[in-house]
Amino acid sequence: MEILEWIKLIFGGSLLLSGLMIFFVELYGIFHFHYVLNRMHAAATGDTLGISCSLIGLMIFSGLNFTTFKMMLVVAFLWFASPVSSHLLSNLEVTTNENLKKYCQVYENLSDLEKELEEEKDKEKAEEGKV
Amino acid sequence: MMQISKGITVLDKVYHGMYITVLILLALMLFSCLIRAVRGPRIADRLVAVNMMGTMVMVIISVLALLLDQGYLIDICLIYAMISFLAVNVISKVYLGVYVEKQQASEEKDLKDGGEGDKTYGNS
Repeated sequence: MEILEWIKLIFGGSLLLSGLMIFFVELYGIFHFHYVLNRMHAAATGDTLGISCSLIGLMIFSGLNFTTFKMMLVVAFLWFASPVSSHLLSNLEVTTNENLKKYCQVYENLSDLEKELEEEKDKEKAEEGKV
Repeated sequence: MMQISKGITVLDKVYHGMYITVLILLALMLFSCLIRAVRGPRIADRLVAVNMMGTMVMVIISVLALLLDQGYLIDICLIYAMISFLAVNVISKVYLGVYVEKQQASEEKDLKDGGEGDKTYGNS
């Protein structure tokens, strides 16, 4: 029985520490990128993968009881809530920033983007035909 | 049984040490998040950093729940998640509303001024 306890410790501990590693990667991304819309990408990693990894580790520690169920609820709630808040934040940033073109490519109409994508596809097809 | 003294096994000691280490590491990361929130040049930067801090505090609360063996702390974690979600949403909505209102006011001003329409008041 003692061995089972140690196996539980190793599994849960490695999951908890990998969750911490993901938080560290998120932090590195937040300081590495230079613009909010890039930083948001790094921040979303910790919101979903980081917290679910570390909470699954804690679930293994706590065993099968009501606490585990509540931890699952927290993770499920974050999976729904984090994309919504990310969307609102990017909406705020794009509307408020007056010189957005300095940081990223902006298309005034959606049809421009579609045209460009089609041109790229045609180019690729032509290259494939040559080969 | 690997008994050290009065019912405290090696396993308990390992668990306790691991929880304390994880808490210290998370606290350090929380402080660097705070640095980002203070330094962030735009409002959206600060809000992203605050959102991240909320996630880290949630993990801290759940580790504390297991360390202190108090199951009800997870309820607080759930409420914390809801409140941080609400805070980010409300703040971004409020900023968006204020910005749109300002823009509309400046456009109306432009229309009223009429003839001398060379100046733009939009960039405030």
